[in-house]
Amino acid sequence: MAETPWITPAAIAETFPEGLKELPPRAQVNLRGSVTDSAFTDAVKAGTGIALPDTPNKTAAGTDFKALWLSPDEWLLVGEGEAASLVQKLEAALSGQHVAVNDVSANRTIFELSGPHSHPALMKSSEFDFHPRVFAPGDCVQTLIAKSQAIVEQTGETAFHIYVRSSFSRYVGAWLAEALAEYSVAE
Amino acid sequence: MLNIDCPWCGKRHETEFRYGGEAHIARPEDPAKLDDAEWAEFLFMRTNTKGYFAERWLHSHGCRRWFNVIRHTVTHEIVGSYKMGEKPPKLPKSAGGAK
Ligand SMILES: [Zn+2]
Repeated sequence: MAETPWITPAAIAETFPEGLKELPPRAQVNLRGSVTDSAFTDAVKAGTGIALPDTPNKTAAGTDFKALWLSPDEWLLVGEGEAASLVQKLEAALSGQHVAVNDVSANRTIFELSGPHSHPALMKSSEFDFHPRVFAPGDCVQTLIAKSQAIVEQTGETAFHIYVRSSFSRYVGAWLAEALAEYSVAE
Repeated sequence: MLNIDCPWCGKRHETEFRYGGEAHIARPEDPAKLDDAEWAEFLFMRTNTKGYFAERWLHSHGCRRWFNVIRHTVTHEIVGSYKMGEKPPKLPKSAGGAK
């Protein structure tokens, strides 16, 4: 059987239109614990500067990392620092508590969709309502993008980070490039 | 398509969810004490309601939480959602279907 080459998102990234790029790998740490337990939230705040959001689908910034709400007792901490040292720091701060801290950096590829066409490109790729009246910078959502499970975080007025499972990244990257294509036709 | 109200995330499209069958079926305290007929009753027998029906849904592509929904099995009308352990919402007066 012929060997199928593993085509990384980087291999198709060269074909990405303006407004779409794959971000360099970021540290991603999955954190679970009780948001009503102040021993937990205080320790996280002391270690990272993050006041964990307990409102669904919101993000909160800290010193080096930000937190994305994933479920009532679960957050994704994302940053450009080192995942291993964040895990160590959190594990030390939370020792003895009923929590989970896991480095999941390799789980998801992050695409950045930005510019004047980011809204329409996203809207036609998902059944979630990304209209500015209901979704704004600082919001995040777990939904389907082109039938692939994704976390979408709005990082600016017209900028989004789209986290998809690494094994789906080539497909989603190609989809988003295709979604943007109609807007780059010269008028 | 259904718009289902996740108690945490709000209204989302049906494709984000997985169906979990009839709600409020409690697992027997001590399964070893049941005979085969009683175990089968717990495992397989459901009410097959025509009308308002309490059922479980999983927000599988979102927050990954199980919760309950009251849905009319004929009209698909959704009366409301509620978290596990909470009381179901009141049914509308003009209850559409008979059980
Ligand atoms: Zn949800």
